[in-house]
Amino acid sequence: MLPEVNVMAMSAVARETVFALRRQIAKIEGTLPERLQAPAPGAPLDAARLDMTLVRRGLAVASADAFLRTGIEGLDTALGGGLPRAALSEIHGLETRDAGAVAGFALSLVSLILKEKQGLPMLWVGTSEIFHEAGLPYARGLHALFGIEPEQLLFSEAPKLLDALWIAEEAARMTAFAAVILEIRGSPRLLDLTATRRLHARAQNAGRPLLLLRQAGEADPTAAPVRLIVSAASSASRETVAGPLAGSIGRPAFKVDIGKSRTALPGQFTLEWNPNEHAFAERTENPVAVVPASQRGADPAPAPGAVLAFPAIGSPASISPTIGDQPSRQQHPAHRSPRRAG
Amino acid sequence: MISHRDNNTQRIAALDERAEALKLKRGMGIADARAMHPMIDVVEADPEADRRLLEGLADWCDRYTPLVAIDAEDGLFLDVTGCTHLFGGERAMQDEILTRFFQQGFDVRAGLASTPGAAWAAARFHGNRIVAGGEEEALLSPLPLSALRIAPETRASLESVGLRTAGAVMAAPRAPLARRFGATLLLRLDQALGRLDEAVSPRLPVAPLSVERHLAEPVMLTDDIERLVSRLAIALKTDLERRGEGARTLALLLFRVDGAVSRIAVGTSRPMREPRLIQRLFHERLAALEQNIDAGFGFDLVRLSVLSAAAFDLVQGDLTGETDDDDADIALFADRVRARLGEAAVLKPVVVESHLPERAVKSVPFAEAPQRRAPAAGRAAPPRTAPPMTIYPPERPVRLFRSPEPIEVPATEIPEGPPMNFRWRRALYRVARAEGPERIAAEWWRQLPGEEEAPTRDYYRIEDSEGRRYWLYRHGLYSSAAQAAPPRWYMHGVFA
Repeated sequence: MLPEVNVMAMSAVARETVFALRRQIAKIEGTLPERLQAPAPGAPLDAARLDMTLVRRGLAVASADAFLRTGIEGLDTALGGGLPRAALSEIHGLETRDAGAVAGFALSLVSLILKEKQGLPMLWVGTSEIFHEAGLPYARGLHALFGIEPEQLLFSEAPKLLDALWIAEEAARMTAFAAVILEIRGSPRLLDLTATRRLHARAQNAGRPLLLLRQAGEADPTAAPVRLIVSAASSASRETVAGPLAGSIGRPAFKVDIGKSRTALPGQFTLEWNPNEHAFAERTENPVAVVPASQRGADPAPAPGAVLAFPAIGSPASISPTIGDQPSRQQHPAHRSPRRAG
Repeated sequence: MISHRDNNTQRIAALDERAEALKLKRGMGIADARAMHPMIDVVEADPEADRRLLEGLADWCDRYTPLVAIDAEDGLFLDVTGCTHLFGGERAMQDEILTRFFQQGFDVRAGLASTPGAAWAAARFHGNRIVAGGEEEALLSPLPLSALRIAPETRASLESVGLRTAGAVMAAPRAPLARRFGATLLLRLDQALGRLDEAVSPRLPVAPLSVERHLAEPVMLTDDIERLVSRLAIALKTDLERRGEGARTLALLLFRVDGAVSRIAVGTSRPMREPRLIQRLFHERLAALEQNIDAGFGFDLVRLSVLSAAAFDLVQGDLTGETDDDDADIALFADRVRARLGEAAVLKPVVVESHLPERAVKSVPFAEAPQRRAPAAGRAAPPRTAPPMTIYPPERPVRLFRSPEPIEVPATEIPEGPPMNFRWRRALYRVARAEGPERIAAEWWRQLPGEEEAPTRDYYRIEDSEGRRYWLYRHGLYSSAAQAAPPRWYMHGVFA
């Protein structure tokens, strides 16, 4: 932990040196750069203040393009600017049957990257086990939804996890791929802190993202700075000229939990992927209930007797009309759910 | 002594000198032989193993000439034209081969002549004789008819008319011989005498380029082999440059001291001649094969050959000496993965015009896939020859199962409608919403005539109560006939 440095008092040359050192330290520590929040728009703009970097934990100077912005203000802010570009990022699915949603979310991130690096190929590495359990990448679907041309896609099926890790390590050090996806199932012992650190270091050096998809994986110790937990969310209805088409299945939607992040508290976001513009949109209001009423077994039995309006003194919430809209336990705000270890 | 089964009788197929001394002969019944000498040791013949051994020896003979052919079940042809001076002349070469075989425990006869037929006869009837050009007739004349490599029936009929030596056949008038005994006899005769050319068809294709190194001290360590590979690759580079080519397939041959030969091949996606890259490919291959290569007492000859080559386009690097060629990086990456994990380790989807989802995309190994054209900077992308797009392209999943997985559908709302719930991999899913059907019929143009038409598939997009989206289909239709089995349902893919 370095003490807070008053940059203003230094000469320009010394400041440069400090910044360079900070970058070095950040690289060695493998920490995500942390930044002060942007000053409020109304606040007087102090040029020196912009240069100042506060140290909370670790230390780094972040450049704006170090992050892949998802386009969702809340998620980007929570992650401290977006998903790190040159890093290993873990994307978990709680069950193997979520593989479609997890892969879809990872591919939408790849699609966002490809918007800037057009024409670069991507590599999808998986073990035979996961490709057998969850299906092979299907180029037609990828093209329609994420704009990834079939000739941009390479995939590699490794018979064993060790081989998959080797391929991913070799691919992660190359700059010729826009992104590398490594997909495995469960929490194998082979993929421990050391293995993830190796992957992370290679991704950092190459400056390319490496997305580690873990289907039915547990929150093991990992060197990845960010872990997201993705599951499927009910899609909205299709939009037509005459309004939403009842009973139809619209754009893909994902529920994204922040499982681990150095900057963010755990939180949940519901994103929708727009396949036409290749961009995320946040689901503001749910056309259909995201969580079914009877999520934990049968519906609770209605209380006997008539419900009367009963204004309680000093507790305005109890008469709130949104009493039925209370979020379920899974939807509690970020700061109230336990933080995942990592 | 080795026995084989012939017409329900065990007969002697081969025997060693000590058995011969006991007056046993080939073709004798085993029961008779046992009656004469109860102590004899009989082993069942194993033609497969014999063949493997002969192939192993042929591999080993590769060190003398690339043109090695297997002759029937007990011989090898070596075309040593132009190779003898490397080993100090014909006599020295033959002696070396015989000595080496003897050291390995084989009793070998060799003959060297300017035609395969004469060499064959020399090896079998003289032993270690070198026949100079033009002496073939003198060699063959006194030999029996079996020296001519003719069928036993032809030989028997020739003997029945009194022609018992090759010389007698040569002296006889040709036309009646051809009429009576067929063209093969004269063909063999002419080939043996050099009047007609006979080509020895080699076992393995001859490499257009190869470099090798004989080692005074055998090497055993993988690191040493890799170092040798890079040395050989440097030597190979000049040859490839002179031809304006790059290697597409490379083979490394490791000749072990005791005669075993390991052959390690690597393929490249694009022509390659850079020694460093060649060494890296072999590094991966050797790492993958580590357990399978038995160095034994070491390798004393290492050869690197180019099995196939293709034209090599020179690329000019920029001033920093680095060409920023992403495609080349990817090709090298794919080659290395392929060298370690096999041909199908890196796959590339290729879109095929087909209605059937599983046929519409074919996965081909990277090396066979059409190469991606790099978009030229500053120029518009070439017009894509994409199929005409419909306004609403059909929804396709992001993942497709390798083979559709059967699911149980207890009930559908209406007979030909989507399921209300289904059981897949022993878990029950409740259908919240469904879209469809999209009916995909079998492709009649791929059907064999007379084959019954495959049932249609009705695909549904399903969203379950948890929000996961699936792609199901019903194979066939519900028919009105009560006896007919209801159509089966399958899970084919998952959506994002």
